[in-house]
Amino acid sequence: MVDDSDSEQVQKELDLVGSYFLELWRLKSKRASASSAKDVEMVNLGYEDEELGGEEEEEEEEESVPTELDTLNSSGGFSIVLPDKLSVQYPTVNLHGHDVGVVQANRPAPVKRLVYYFEIYVKNAGAKGYISIGFTTEGFNMRRQPGWEANSYGYHGDDGLLYRGQGKGEAFGPTYSTGDTVGGGINYGSQEFFFTNHSQHFKGVCNVLDARKNGQVVGKVEKDVKGRLYPTIAVHSQNEEVSVNFGKDPFLFDIKAYEAAQRAKQQTYIERISIPQTASYGIVRSYLQHYGYEDTLHVFDEASQSSVPPITGIHDNGFNEHGVYALKHRKILRKLIKDGQIDDAFGKLREWYPQIVQDDTSAICLMLYCQKFIELVRVGHLEEAVDYGRTHFEKFYSLKEYEDLVKDCAALLAYEEPKKSSVGYLLEESQLENVADAVNAIILWTNPEVKDHKSCLHSYLEKLLRQLTACFLEKRLLNGNQGEAFRLRRVLLAKNS
Amino acid sequence: MQATSKKVITRDEWEKKLNDVKIRKEDMNKLVMNFLVTEGYVDAAEKFRTESGTEHIDLATITDRMAVKKAVQSGNVEDAIEKVNDLNPEILDTNPQLFFHLQQQRLIELIRNGKIEEALEFAQEELAPRGEENQSFLEELERTVALLAFEDVKNSPVGDLLDISQRLKTASEVNAAILTSQSHEKDPKLPSLLRMLLWAQNQLDEKAAYPRITDLFTATLEDPFV
Repeated sequence: MVDDSDSEQVQKELDLVGSYFLELWRLKSKRASASSAKDVEMVNLGYEDEELGGEEEEEEEEESVPTELDTLNSSGGFSIVLPDKLSVQYPTVNLHGHDVGVVQANRPAPVKRLVYYFEIYVKNAGAKGYISIGFTTEGFNMRRQPGWEANSYGYHGDDGLLYRGQGKGEAFGPTYSTGDTVGGGINYGSQEFFFTNHSQHFKGVCNVLDARKNGQVVGKVEKDVKGRLYPTIAVHSQNEEVSVNFGKDPFLFDIKAYEAAQRAKQQTYIERISIPQTASYGIVRSYLQHYGYEDTLHVFDEASQSSVPPITGIHDNGFNEHGVYALKHRKILRKLIKDGQIDDAFGKLREWYPQIVQDDTSAICLMLYCQKFIELVRVGHLEEAVDYGRTHFEKFYSLKEYEDLVKDCAALLAYEEPKKSSVGYLLEESQLENVADAVNAIILWTNPEVKDHKSCLHSYLEKLLRQLTACFLEKRLLNGNQGEAFRLRRVLLAKNS
Repeated sequence: MQATSKKVITRDEWEKKLNDVKIRKEDMNKLVMNFLVTEGYVDAAEKFRTESGTEHIDLATITDRMAVKKAVQSGNVEDAIEKVNDLNPEILDTNPQLFFHLQQQRLIELIRNGKIEEALEFAQEELAPRGEENQSFLEELERTVALLAFEDVKNSPVGDLLDISQRLKTASEVNAAILTSQSHEKDPKLPSLLRMLLWAQNQLDEKAAYPRITDLFTATLEDPFV
């Protein structure tokens, strides 16, 4: 017996499943409208985005990066920042240790990435070549060399020493002078600073030492400060002039290769971890089960039984918790929806799972009605689409939570070439797939064995990937928000070496 | 007792964080496709393409592969060999059996077209030396040349060689070889990601107690041990 409160509970759970997929739809809608407005913001993206391609932007973390030298707080009056805001000069004669011309970047180095890097070019080493490159915190004393004070780090040109927090330097690398380019970077993965030197002299040394491995990296030093760090340069003798490159021009240092090498290093640790041999196989299998890709599952099982050596034991534990529940039905419905046969899908649902489509204003019904409308637009039956919309959309107009999505659909009518419009995403295959996934999940939910509606929403594969992503994010959070997030897209696009 | 400064994250808090993570369906499909293709489940990969609409690799290489397949299917074996070599010369270099089958198909096509002299020359110069290296090649070569000995080839014991199914067989062999070559230098990404998950959890263990997944087969969240 089903009493009223039970059936209310049932409807509520159904709605939870349905609205999950509406939310996925909504995400795509937002992405689509964002991407049509994105062309404006193509500035300042830096090298990181190139490899991901424009499509990934909404997932890129928007972080402002240093673009020029700070002209307000820097220098303490001893140096002059030139009008390009990318060069600094020391015009006078230096007198003591407290009249250093120090300039910070206009913004701190971004942290949500693996590596940050910038370069300087020494135009003129002046009287004594007291030039340095480094990183300092916000409240740095603007009359001192980076590295002389606590929480600051600097690689100095006159002696090639590395200074960190005290007046005494440590043996580090070669000196640098007029005509040389040097760079400073932060590796957030290893929590280290590193510096590069591109002088001809050092290049010679590097070639001997296997330059391919280290590039022009002079050395690295532990980063033991947690706060935001500003790229910083200093000049401290007459006529010294230095220009800085925050990435507007190509770097002399191959930063991409450096990043790739850092990732490869991490990867070797990861590859040492052992996993059960059949794990991937089992996860793929349960994925095919979960989504009702039955034909694939069938062929996959056949192939694995005849493989050498045969994959054994998997059928006992390579199983989705729903197993083969309603697999045939789910497969048939997925195919109907994929083929755009929405009326037929509706019919089958009414026949097999009437409880799912009982409430005509449920999320799942909305998705199906909208898809039917989309299919009519796709084949150019616009008048029919208008009629269909009038008949079926009306009941949703009063439901605020659906308004935006119904509007997206209706907007298709406004365009001669709807595919190219801002709601063109509706005509993509992934929209159909989302509807098919929603119907699949709802059928899984009718399994009497199901205790928790959430288990219908996510395959094991998705759960594992969510856990992976969450671990990376949490680790970063506990690390002062420094470092890069995990992005599946990057892994998918990467060419394995 | 060990003093601990580990952050404790409850199941509820963790699940909230998990819910904020959005994994795209297309990306998971790609991951599964990558597994099927790289592990050589070619038929399953084809089915998966139909069922999920996920393309293998990139469109360009599929087009190239299809062009080769079509060339063999329509009897233009020379053209197919050239296309395979354009794609990757190593495919035929490292796969003598495939190369032999393609040459055999070429011979069949010459015979089919009645170019008897050319066929004989080709068999003796190109195929016979390979048959010497390999007994099974030799048998197949003899069987193919036998096509010349029958007036009514279609009803002869070797008539099946002229059948369209022979072309299809050769075509699917080339297809599989190209697929393998395109993925051979790469391992599937899924096992790497699973390792990465275990690694990331180990890293986070140092700083926090949170619900972990240790059983990869069931992806079950375990309550944090505090």
